Amino acid sequence: MNHAIRADKFLLDADRTTWHDETLWFVREKRDRAAYGVPEFQELRELASGIKNHTLSRLDLYLQEFEAAAQANGVHVHWAADAAEHNAIILDIIQKQGATRIVKSKSMLTEECHLNPFLIKHGIEVVDTDLGERIIQFRDEPPSHIVLPAIHLKKEDVGDTFHTHLGTTKGESDPQRLTEAARQHLRAKFLAGQVAISGVNFAIAETGAVVVCTNEGNADLGVNLAKVHIAAMGIEKIIPRLSDLGVFTRLLARSATGQPVTTYTSHFTKPAPGKEMHIVIVDNGRTQQLGRPDFRASLKCIRCGACMNTCPVYRRSGGHSYDFTVPGPIGAILSPNIDMKKHASLPFASTLCGSCTDVCPVKIDIHTQLYKWRQVLGEANEIPASKKWSMKFMGRVLASTRVYGLGGQFARKALRLLPHGLTHAPSMNAWAVARELPEAPKQSFREWYAKQPAPAAQPTQPQISA
Amino acid sequence: MKVALFVPCYIDQFYPQVGIATLQLLEKLGVQAHFPAQQTCCGQPLANSGCERDALPIYKHFVQTFSDYDYVVAPSGSCVYHVRKHFDKLDQTADVQHVRGAAYDLIDFISTVLKVEELPGAFPHKVGLHLSCHGQRGLHQANESEMTPVRDGQLSRLLRSLDGIELTNLNRNDECCGFGGTFCVSEAGISARMGQDRVADHVRNGTQVLTGSDMSCLMHLEGIVRRAKLPIKVMHAAEILNGVMVNA
Amino acid sequence: MSTTSRERILAATKANKPEELPLPTVPDFGGEATIERFTTVLTGIGGTVVRMAGLNELEETLRQLFPEAKLKASTLATATVAVDAQTPTDVLADIDLAVLQGEIGVAENGAVWLPEVNMLNRALPTITQHLALVLDHRRIVATMHQAYAQLPNTGGYGKFVAGPSKTADIEQSLVIGAHGARSLVVLVY
Repeated sequence: MNHAIRADKFLLDADRTTWHDETLWFVREKRDRAAYGVPEFQELRELASGIKNHTLSRLDLYLQEFEAAAQANGVHVHWAADAAEHNAIILDIIQKQGATRIVKSKSMLTEECHLNPFLIKHGIEVVDTDLGERIIQFRDEPPSHIVLPAIHLKKEDVGDTFHTHLGTTKGESDPQRLTEAARQHLRAKFLAGQVAISGVNFAIAETGAVVVCTNEGNADLGVNLAKVHIAAMGIEKIIPRLSDLGVFTRLLARSATGQPVTTYTSHFTKPAPGKEMHIVIVDNGRTQQLGRPDFRASLKCIRCGACMNTCPVYRRSGGHSYDFTVPGPIGAILSPNIDMKKHASLPFASTLCGSCTDVCPVKIDIHTQLYKWRQVLGEANEIPASKKWSMKFMGRVLASTRVYGLGGQFARKALRLLPHGLTHAPSMNAWAVARELPEAPKQSFREWYAKQPAPAAQPTQPQISA
Repeated sequence: MKVALFVPCYIDQFYPQVGIATLQLLEKLGVQAHFPAQQTCCGQPLANSGCERDALPIYKHFVQTFSDYDYVVAPSGSCVYHVRKHFDKLDQTADVQHVRGAAYDLIDFISTVLKVEELPGAFPHKVGLHLSCHGQRGLHQANESEMTPVRDGQLSRLLRSLDGIELTNLNRNDECCGFGGTFCVSEAGISARMGQDRVADHVRNGTQVLTGSDMSCLMHLEGIVRRAKLPIKVMHAAEILNGVMVNA
Repeated sequence: MSTTSRERILAATKANKPEELPLPTVPDFGGEATIERFTTVLTGIGGTVVRMAGLNELEETLRQLFPEAKLKASTLATATVAVDAQTPTDVLADIDLAVLQGEIGVAENGAVWLPEVNMLNRALPTITQHLALVLDHRRIVATMHQAYAQLPNTGGYGKFVAGPSKTADIEQSLVIGAHGARSLVVLVY
């Protein structure tokens, strides 16, 4: 099943599509206002991009510097080549503690590695503590957005879910009261949590610290109440210096939600006395992406979600239509690296309008990479055969003036003479489902031009009128 | 100044009046453009579909056709953007580099090369401007809402100089229309929905004439307008500007 | 197993990384380091700023702001619960108000740097129902660049706190008081 088919399902509910589009557009507008409010915003994007490019160019060295600093801080550092190893390491840490109750704050990496089902299979209770993540965990759904995981749901949906799982009043859909119910429910989980798992927004090579940004405070609460903290990070989370955070913290929340900064920007450097801290550094395809010159810039991503909020396709198709952990434009350039066949339609789920590139706080050339993935997929025969052959045919026609002229005449004539019901039949013409075809003129421009008297066809003197 | 007119394939076949208006408008601005008859297409439909390799002969044909001209002007920013940005796949001979630099969108050519900022004439209608993404974000012909709240651009400046014209203030100034080349059929559902939303913004804000400098977006939007039988006339900017100057 | 993964990841990173690129120098962008800016921004994100002429006004200010607070933890003001790093979770869970010293205020975003040494217990600033941070007005800087430049180090744990705990995960409706403190007051003297 490709993106277009899943998108069509989303589009069936036209009102909900409107709502989804407008809700995310509202976030995009908040982002705009926040960006306009910082005079040096564009300069910060350039700096952020430069710092990330530099870091990628010395990544092996920075990873080692980070590891050494973290170990000196009394932190256990683990390395995982892939999702399976990541999951096994985490399970091992948990089992060594004899722990069964885990609280987890937001981590797209653990989603990518499908950690939750793995731990549950081994008898561990994992509670996602971010409100949006808890909502979709109750519903057994994947997140539809990396910053706003439950953005596909309306408050009534959340009300139903909480009625079922938390016993809130049937029909209750007030966000304030629903959030309060979740607060009470999750407090109990926080107090009982034995091991806390968090993601990582930034890992500082210089100090060995990991930085986690949240609005709810769930990472801080979970980590500081549990005996053991496990922080999971991809290798691309490294930044060289503490001072680089000046750049990234100014961009992250403004780009993500239009806030000046997240409520909590927490620096975890050393475990508290008597407690343990583990960092799991994960590859899972990232070094492969680093080796693709056209696509390595995707590793600069700081997971703000701005490209999703601005993407006119994402807003109208929903995050689940991408069928990948990270949806939207950035997901469409990350996913083919993981499984080219499965995600072959994603780089085509874009008009290449370029808005994603223009909002990206680290200046990833997202729309250019989408275009380049299309070429890689074309060369690898991962595009529909019919498209491939019609493009080959077109290539021959359009490289020849004579064949092109004949083809055009034929098409226009057919369009003029054939009945509307046939030229606009939805089964034969995807264009015509919602659009009229252009009215076919009797003559093309070139036919008109050829009939013009000499002055037009063979112009003489320039003249300025009016 | 030796100027060639590039009339993209779909304009040649479906919108000859846009090619004619472009030619006549340039003429009124003192530029006699030639139409080299051997021209076909810039190759973008193939390349955007992942078949860049199959497009290379088209690129070469394009360069051969236009290498003798100082400027290649087209009433479609998208094609121009493709030539400038994606002809990097060819060996960068002097001809290739020249043609990439010589390609201009019509409005960009009028504003940047001819340095014309206002035109005489009147167009007493409420006009909605559709900014093509490739013209705006690709060729930087207009400010982008991602960067600045100031709504300004080459075409809006030219249009604003006309007497009696009122430009529509849209809720979303520069959202993509959803055409996207082959996207319009491979993702037909999303494409149509985007177009409907774009048209609705114009309807809501009172557009009588919907215009732009990229006929590909307009073809898509016109298809939506005509299907919904809306009282909006879709015209390429060249048609408006050329018509105004006849009257003037 | 993980040793080999470590070597494999580092080798692949080394083999696949691009040619070395320079690390940019980040300028100090200047900006407005005023209490007015700090107050406007923090108020905009749900926090409150209360100005005091001096620390001697702290007790009275807290009494007015939190008349209901019973279980209070602080080193700066009168406390009713003694909290340290070993305080059990169930004691922490009942605390109404924590009054702690903030180190640096950031005018552009309303954030206040709170290092571990000022927290009494790492969990206290988030588990308390209400949080009050005391801040010297001379420690307000314009931007995050300036804030990081002033930090000698980040200790074992430390954080910038900008406003009360909040969420907009239900239909993008802003709700104050997600999991952490339901309110944040910065008492500037």
